[in-house]
Amino acid sequence: MRGSGDKRLRTGAAALLLTALAVAASGCGDLSNDELNRGVESLSALAAQGQLVASGVARDATKSTYARVMAKTLGGEAEHEAEKLADATPEEGIADQRDAAVAVAGEIAGLLSELQTYPGDERHGALVQKHLEEAQEKADAIVARLSGDA
Amino acid sequence: MKTILKIALGIIAAIGGFLDIGDLVFTTQAGALFRYDLLWAVVLGVVGIAIYAEMTGRVAAVSGRPVFDVIRMRLGFGLGLGALIASTIVNLLTVAAELGGIAIVLELLFDAPYDMFVVTAAIALVVIVALLPFGGIERVFGYGGLLMLVVIATVVHQGPEWGDVARGFVPSLSSSTLYLYFVVGVFSAALMPYEAHFYSSGAIEEGWTEKNLKENRLNAFIGYALGGLLSIGLVIASGFLFHPLGVEPSDLGTVALPMQGAFGETGLLLALGGMLFCVSGAAIDSSFAASYNVAQFLGWEWGRYKGPRKAPRFTASWLVFVLLGVAIAQSGINPVEITEYSVVLAVVALPLTYLPVLLIAGDRSFMGEFANGRLATFFGWLYFAVIVVLALAAIPLLLATNGGGG
Amino acid sequence: MRKEGDIYVVHRLLDEQICDSDGRRVGRVDDLELRGDPPRITALLVGEGLYPRRLPRALARLARRITGPERWGANAMRIPFEEVDDLGSTVKLRKKAEDLGLGMGDDPGRWIVGRLPWN
Repeated sequence: MRGSGDKRLRTGAAALLLTALAVAASGCGDLSNDELNRGVESLSALAAQGQLVASGVARDATKSTYARVMAKTLGGEAEHEAEKLADATPEEGIADQRDAAVAVAGEIAGLLSELQTYPGDERHGALVQKHLEEAQEKADAIVARLSGDA
Repeated sequence: MKTILKIALGIIAAIGGFLDIGDLVFTTQAGALFRYDLLWAVVLGVVGIAIYAEMTGRVAAVSGRPVFDVIRMRLGFGLGLGALIASTIVNLLTVAAELGGIAIVLELLFDAPYDMFVVTAAIALVVIVALLPFGGIERVFGYGGLLMLVVIATVVHQGPEWGDVARGFVPSLSSSTLYLYFVVGVFSAALMPYEAHFYSSGAIEEGWTEKNLKENRLNAFIGYALGGLLSIGLVIASGFLFHPLGVEPSDLGTVALPMQGAFGETGLLLALGGMLFCVSGAAIDSSFAASYNVAQFLGWEWGRYKGPRKAPRFTASWLVFVLLGVAIAQSGINPVEITEYSVVLAVVALPLTYLPVLLIAGDRSFMGEFANGRLATFFGWLYFAVIVVLALAAIPLLLATNGGGG
Repeated sequence: MRKEGDIYVVHRLLDEQICDSDGRRVGRVDDLELRGDPPRITALLVGEGLYPRRLPRALARLARRITGPERWGANAMRIPFEEVDDLGSTVKLRKKAEDLGLGMGDDPGRWIVGRLPWN
């Protein structure tokens, strides 16, 4: 507690350690079918949760600060998932699905970012909700193709 | 009449004060992942805390010994020190998690930076503890926690298939390591030891004697049991909404979504408000439990009512725990993750802090006629067996499920 | 538990909380001094300096680093057993803490004074 310099150093050190661990964890081996499957499932879950938040905005049945912070958090998770999938090397035959997954992740992140910008706007809320539903369907389709392959 | 009112208010405060960030996180995740299948584990944990709290309260009232006095007497210095270190680590993580939880709820309500709210929350807690009478603080946060009754209203509004819900109360084990991990997590979140440690020290601060034993039993078996209904409600509300959609809750804000879904902005605000009170109360309870334990084990003067001048080391250690909690909460680790670790490690440390209490509670030379009867002895030992099994399974399951990530 | 019979219940005396005549908590019975044959308890021993000897040898060295070596009068105090007034759920002493040199850790004067940079 001695001053901002120490604090920044500590935060930086923590962030560095966490990044190193994350890189080490994610860089272990190629992206397998199961891992990609898991990743896309979590994207589907994010989209589902995003729809719940968006529907609250659409019906004017939520608090805009809540919607904004939730959208920001969920959007960050979608982006993180996109980066994780993009950084990994896909195994044989699932490269196309991996690219599709990254695209869907980007879509979800973009939609949530829009919700973050307009957390009180009912029209935007309804649009985001609809598009998130479509994104979720795309994610579920990828899961289906992966299971079909496996 | 006045006594009955006082006891009733105490029970009400116990109900509202039951939930903490561990309950919020684990019940919501359990419902989303397994729908109603883990309700039996919640009940198991709720009965566990009732038994543990009743024993610690009875031992405190009859023999004047709080938990870490009992631990030092029964385990001796060496093993007792191990229990103290383990318990302190858990309590510290819990304080950090609760402070982080307060900051998240404030962020959801007011959209200002999380880090700022962690510091704000800590300062506010210190000011509140310094200025308000201790018993009053417990009651304020306890009553505020009753806002979480909106969860029960949500469940009623959702109208789940009650047959399915009922089946969730029948214990079932699955080979899924994730399921087993959540059995441990949900149980431990309900049976958080700091709560019993705080409760026993509080009993001594309030000057409890044998006359308070009935109140003790009511607090434990009605207060905590009804508080457990809120946990059950969270599992059902979350299971009803999230499970069919495949939502995986990883943020604290998600806990409030079912209430928003049922009652719109009003439901959301009641839920967030209730969460704020519950987690704040837990931050106070866990930080005090941490300093109670250290002071009692080492023989220092202790007690909120003694004040900083008569109990300076105790007071200083409390401030240190709050500061360390702030540091951990601001270290960049997600408070939900800190919560997961604090809950899992709590059950690992639990056998060491539960067994001495069980032994003393059954020891007539300490407790006289108030020692454990046959029923208490049976359930006390049964729970010890359960706790040991879960404590041994906890860390392997944590590693196998990659911290509940599946 | 009575004062006379407690040689059989040392496990009840060791690690017990000590309170002075005012009821102030002033530490725990960290060790006991036994003398004579048959052994009688001649003193209670209190203080962090006594912790290392209560730990298994491997940890004792680490403990000594933290608490410092045993320094009688500083981090290890001797309370003659005659100073004990009563034994119940705490060890009650006849005198006040200051008269016996106990409770220094919680002495408020020492806290404020000790934290001044020139001390």
